[in-house]
Amino acid sequence: MSVTNWRTINIDALDPDSPYNFDLSTLTPSVLPIASSEVQSTANQIRQLLRGGDGEGALRGALDTAPYGADERGKEIHLAAVIEILQSIRQSEMTPILNRIYGSEGGSEALDVLMKYICRGMAQHSSPGSAVSSPQATGFSQMGSRNLGGGEGSGQMSVLLSWHEKVVEVAGLGCIMRVMTDRRTV
Amino acid sequence: MSQSLRPYLQCVRSSVTAALSLSNFASQVAERHNFPEIEAGYSPEALLNPLTVARNDHERVFIEPSINSVRISIKIKQADEIEHILVHKFTRFLTQRAEAFFILRRKPVKGYDISFLITNFHTEEMLKHKLVDFIIQFMEEVDKEISEMKLFLNARARFVAESFLTPFD
Amino acid sequence: MAPPEVHHLFHHPIADHSFSADQNTLAVAKDTTVELYKRGPQGFQLKDELTGHDKTVTGVDIAPNSGKIVTCSQDRNAYVWEPSPTGWKPTLVLLRLNRAATCVRWSPSEMKFAAGSGARTIAICHFEEEDNWWVSKHLKKPIRSTITSVAWHPNSVLLAAASTDGHARVFSSFIKGIDPRPEPSAWGERLPFNTVCGEYMNSTAGWVHDVAFSPSGNALAFVAHDSSLTVVYPSAPEQPPKAIVSVSTQLLPFSGVIWSSESEIIAAGYDCQAYKLQGGESGWQLSGTVATKSRPGAASGHEESALNMFRQMDLKGKTKDDTKLDTVHQNTITKVRVYGPPGQGASKFSTSGVDGRIVIWGI
Repeated sequence: MSVTNWRTINIDALDPDSPYNFDLSTLTPSVLPIASSEVQSTANQIRQLLRGGDGEGALRGALDTAPYGADERGKEIHLAAVIEILQSIRQSEMTPILNRIYGSEGGSEALDVLMKYICRGMAQHSSPGSAVSSPQATGFSQMGSRNLGGGEGSGQMSVLLSWHEKVVEVAGLGCIMRVMTDRRTV
Repeated sequence: MSQSLRPYLQCVRSSVTAALSLSNFASQVAERHNFPEIEAGYSPEALLNPLTVARNDHERVFIEPSINSVRISIKIKQADEIEHILVHKFTRFLTQRAEAFFILRRKPVKGYDISFLITNFHTEEMLKHKLVDFIIQFMEEVDKEISEMKLFLNARARFVAESFLTPFD
Repeated sequence: MAPPEVHHLFHHPIADHSFSADQNTLAVAKDTTVELYKRGPQGFQLKDELTGHDKTVTGVDIAPNSGKIVTCSQDRNAYVWEPSPTGWKPTLVLLRLNRAATCVRWSPSEMKFAAGSGARTIAICHFEEEDNWWVSKHLKKPIRSTITSVAWHPNSVLLAAASTDGHARVFSSFIKGIDPRPEPSAWGERLPFNTVCGEYMNSTAGWVHDVAFSPSGNALAFVAHDSSLTVVYPSAPEQPPKAIVSVSTQLLPFSGVIWSSESEIIAAGYDCQAYKLQGGESGWQLSGTVATKSRPGAASGHEESALNMFRQMDLKGKTKDDTKLDTVHQNTITKVRVYGPPGQGASKFSTSGVDGRIVIWGI
């Protein structure tokens, strides 16, 4: 064995009984694992609804079938589908749709799921890894770099931001609380 | 205020307000201690899912809530190298005076320019909505400040260049 | 409805408060001390101070009949204070905890009290006549995180506990020789010490902030950090409950909850307001806030005149004073307690807040 720096060992991690080793899986109700192929087929069905012009139905369907048990890839497929739906719904239709969903059976949970997707969507495109290109090698010129914030990423962000605002208007701050506390991530 | 700035700040406001629901929580790991759980990270169940609010790839806010503290990290817009230098100098100036700002963290979280750490002791002695206002105002002001500094810098560079080139006319 | 009675005691968070049975004495936990206030003609007057803890006091409870006060603190200790001719006499309780004590409550029989802690333990303490001290027995399993709050069943045997591991649990704290044999109920028939009679979590699994038994003891309500309130109706021992009703609200989380009757719950928390919920086994819903919207006294004494507006603009550079919330409490409400003689239906309740206010509300 190589030389170990004993001082940097976290002894709490070695004690199965310490608070450090709290089992977070006890905080999630059991979820069934879903294969990504299954998620893909659901996403395709949802897209079909969307193409048929039923944006609200597609959104509701997507929120009710959130794949908590899927792996990273499956979750990404579903996220892409949800974001596609969100982008296709017009600004003026957002509030009426949200109100209808909130008023329906299980609507509060559906909006919690929607909020999770909005937050996930914003986090996805802005992970520190993808944003290292910010200082461009353009030196003193300002002209070239002005459009930096206007790429396709920012278009999607502004859609998500306006959805975020509308969801908070309908479902209140409690909705954000549940996104933070819920260990079932999308 | 530009079109997308308002929903961005609104989104930060609601997320921070929600995250600031803090309570006094003594450590479960060290007896007779009471420290910000988000910094210690010893009790996984005392931490909540972090939230990201992004306007685009270069402007975003990262909110890490826990039972007795919230860490809010801001990435300030940097469109080019000058802005990058200015932001660096500016945030460095502030963090070196962190004790005068109470909630300012001495070191930003990796990938961000400046971080705030708000604990339950801050929300106990300060008004919660005013703390949120402060964060929002800071975000508004810092963009303004940076672009102003950049204008000054450019004006000065132009002046220097002009006076430098005059004798050769 | 009479306006709420507001007592602004100091500018410091109140972690917990308790009224004596005649409502003339008020004990509040302020930092490392417990202050005792007596009701006087001009509100509550500071009468006494219980010092002894050296870390933040987290819980205080006055026993309604015996008048003994129990306090607990983050310094891992609990004291029982008894009145004596020379002042309050403290007795240290052997909690045997190695982390902060977080909450403490007398059982309705006043023979025992329960202290929750950050050591993933609840200490059930009773007085040992022979040795002349308070000893404790520990409820340990299956608690996995800090206990945030405890509540007693009217039979003094069952104890509900809220924990940051997202669960609300019901335990038996039966101690031979102290407790009479409890009547079998929907929670259980045979109840040896540390029987887990129920373990509940809602799907979002936020930290549970507070629990409360209904006046009959046949239902349990708990509030969690996911802004929800959950009510559990047990059916029979060892059986899944008859109904679990969960209400997800649009508000910030609640930190305190009480039952005013079998069909009404009062909850208050981070919104700095108290809310009423009504319902039953088939469902619960939020029915509104307690008391009026506008702050009493503030609206009438503050006439909105042009002069005033310009003066404000001149002094502060703005027309509206936004440093005050339009709620009675100006910061998070920490605890909600029934106000008035125990055992009867609650017609009043008191709340304490981080802003140093104690408010007594009519329902």
